[in-house]
Amino acid sequence: MKRNNNSRIHLAFASFRCNRMAMLCLWALVILYSLAIFADFVCPYSDRDENRDFSYCPPTAVEFLDQGHLVHPFVYGRTLTFNAVHRRVYVEDMTKKYPLRFFKEGRLFTVDAPGRFYLWGADARGRDLFSRIWYGARISLSIGLLGVSISFILGLLIGGIAGYYGGWVDSVLMRLCEMFMMIPGFYLMLALRAAVPENFNSVQVYGSVVVILALIGWASLARIIRGMVLSLRERDFVLVAKTMGVPDIVIICKHILPQTISFSCATLMLTVSSYILAEAGLSVVGLGIQDPISSWGNLLSDAMEIVPVIFAPWILLPGLFIFIAVMSFNVVGDALRDAFDPMFKEEVSV
Amino acid sequence: MNSLLSIKNLTVAVGAKVLVNNVSFDVPQGKIVAIAGGSGSGKTTIGLSVLRLLPSALSIKQGNIVFEGRDLLGLPVREMQYCRGARIGMVFQEPLSAFDPLFTVGQQLDEVLVAHTKLSREERYKKILETLTEVELPDPLRAYKSFPHQLSGGMRQRAMVAQAIVCNPSLIIADEPTSSLDVTLQIKIMELFARLKKKNMSILLIAHDLGMISHLADDVIILRQGEMVEKGLVSQVIGHPKHEYTKRLVEAFQ
Repeated sequence: MKRNNNSRIHLAFASFRCNRMAMLCLWALVILYSLAIFADFVCPYSDRDENRDFSYCPPTAVEFLDQGHLVHPFVYGRTLTFNAVHRRVYVEDMTKKYPLRFFKEGRLFTVDAPGRFYLWGADARGRDLFSRIWYGARISLSIGLLGVSISFILGLLIGGIAGYYGGWVDSVLMRLCEMFMMIPGFYLMLALRAAVPENFNSVQVYGSVVVILALIGWASLARIIRGMVLSLRERDFVLVAKTMGVPDIVIICKHILPQTISFSCATLMLTVSSYILAEAGLSVVGLGIQDPISSWGNLLSDAMEIVPVIFAPWILLPGLFIFIAVMSFNVVGDALRDAFDPMFKEEVSV
Repeated sequence: MNSLLSIKNLTVAVGAKVLVNNVSFDVPQGKIVAIAGGSGSGKTTIGLSVLRLLPSALSIKQGNIVFEGRDLLGLPVREMQYCRGARIGMVFQEPLSAFDPLFTVGQQLDEVLVAHTKLSREERYKKILETLTEVELPDPLRAYKSFPHQLSGGMRQRAMVAQAIVCNPSLIIADEPTSSLDVTLQIKIMELFARLKKKNMSILLIAHDLGMISHLADDVIILRQGEMVEKGLVSQVIGHPKHEYTKRLVEAFQ
């Protein structure tokens, strides 16, 4: 059956499209997620492909001109030398040229061994940072979404039930929320992480980080949803649904929670960004995703010491992408809230 | 006469304040019984008591509400849930706020059928269109696909009645069903209720419009501030009011 065009969702998206900044950020997110999804294709190397001869190798320049003639793009080989203070210096070896190979072995671009192509430089173990960033994006960007989905289901359901039934159900659930909220988030995160067994494999660690993030975020959401439900449950159509014998859980999920969509959408986006940051925080202190698997957080943990940052500043790049992702989610979230709630926007602009 | 709904000594209070005091009456099978009275007289409270959906601050202090031979006040929650919608339908005063703005009329009727029957999707669709036709919506298919705000007031009220009768309940509680409509639409809705009565449905009509009551109802109960001041056949109570309050009400409507 065809849905009506002038439904609220439709109107909201029409209004969203007019917000240029938000559309820009939405596209940024689309690009980040596509690069993460197609990392196998986009990246020249896998995230574990290391070559210790190229530790902290700086970004490789792509050459288009060979002795003044336009040629197929290529990169020069590099030789490792040490300078007077025994620092590594990579010198371009003009005698060795490695042409870029496109669509070779299912990858967008790469060069033939023994040449290495470091678009954004290499890390301490000679792994390609470009590749590690996009493989890491898979972890960082999906952890945010997964964690948020879980805490949203929890928050909406628990907030919905507490607000709808009220009374002692409300009291018990809200005290439970407060128990989670009164512990500072980061320490709760550390404590929960400490409860996870040490010998977990990478998939289990990933799962446990998702669950930890979800457990931290649901409480504040549940409290706000509960407040909204308290007023929504007095609406006439809720009473009508009750008189028609519609089961409570259907009323909550179908008639009450969808009314909170404007708030939920915005909060969902803002929460994703805070989860991306939280994952990075965990990984930076070494409690999140473990090497050799990359995530934006543990890539940044390489930049915790000042010396590598001085000599290989490109290892800060993952931070830029964390910034872009977090900012985009925030802008899109704000714009969504405005789009769903024209009243709110007017109030703010006055 | 076979009594479908029988309310005995119903008393509803909020804290120490009594809203409905010791009210008793019967709704026989296939009859329309009206509750009349000014605002705040406890009319709606009685209607909601039958469905056990009073606001949480209000409580039933004493009394029985016997429906189809069973006391509703003692019924387990699950069976009560079945009575609501399947055996007793309710029509409200303001049809716009009574529908969820996010769903089409068809979806909201469907929801009632899903809650109470095991019909397949096609059977439910057929049943809903049948019901929408029965309440004389001019274009049932369009009404099915419309969101509540896309229908006119009269059409919404019909859709509301359709929602109340879609499961073929034996009793309909109509809480001021015509107050938000203009006079011509009021007559249409009254005709609709008269037709439902012919199909042996009983209607508990909550209204303050004595004109409508005298046209439509068989029995009438006059309430004043929770007290039942008079009850009996419409022709007697409105034709020859005995109580002072009833006389004033009747005069006001002439």
